[in-house]
Amino acid sequence: MEKIVEQGLLYDFYGELLTEHQKRIYEEAVYQDMSLSEIAEDNGISRQGVHDLLRRCDKILADYENTLHLVEKYKNIRKRAQEIRTLCGAVLTDSGAGTCADDGKAKEDGAPAEAGGAEKCARRTKAYEAARRIDGLAGEILEEL
Amino acid sequence: MAVKIRLRRMGQKKAPFYRIVVADSRSPRDGRFIEEIGTYDPNTDPSTFKVNEELAKKWLANGAQPTEIVSKIFKLAGIEK
Repeated sequence: MEKIVEQGLLYDFYGELLTEHQKRIYEEAVYQDMSLSEIAEDNGISRQGVHDLLRRCDKILADYENTLHLVEKYKNIRKRAQEIRTLCGAVLTDSGAGTCADDGKAKEDGAPAEAGGAEKCARRTKAYEAARRIDGLAGEILEEL
Repeated sequence: MAVKIRLRRMGQKKAPFYRIVVADSRSPRDGRFIEEIGTYDPNTDPSTFKVNEELAKKWLANGAQPTEIVSKIFKLAGIEK
């Protein structure tokens, strides 16, 4: 992953633990993609000062991550929840259309077939509903992360 | 007046999404930008980007300076100066 994206994520999680001054400058570098000299001019400090401050913030944030692993956990959970959604998507499009498609056919075939068909259909509807619920739960997890 | 092509982070916390914008180097902080010429989405795997090639070339030809990461994206998009 690109450095600026990585820094942005770390900042999202631990940024509140930096001082106001650090936050301001780190945001300019990481959210606004400003150059060192632009930040230096904007804040009335030297280019070297900006450089040192960014390096120090990188280290502070990395230290928090090495202790707490929130970003790592976040990424892992998100990846798996997304995979669940993908899998559910496949199941839903697969069985969704055919859920009770043979329902009508079974009825036309007469009573004996209808019993078996209805049972199968009910089972499939249940599986379909479960997949939908799982998909919804994964969606909720993703949203809450 | 130096014109820069840079990323600007949008989206919510923990869900980064970037616009590639052309902006005056002096109006940076949450400031206006001149034009949006693309997007960069690191959430997908691999990350995806969209660049309006015509505009990018126009701005590069006019001397707009891309930041490091934007140059990288341009390279991936096959846009050269």
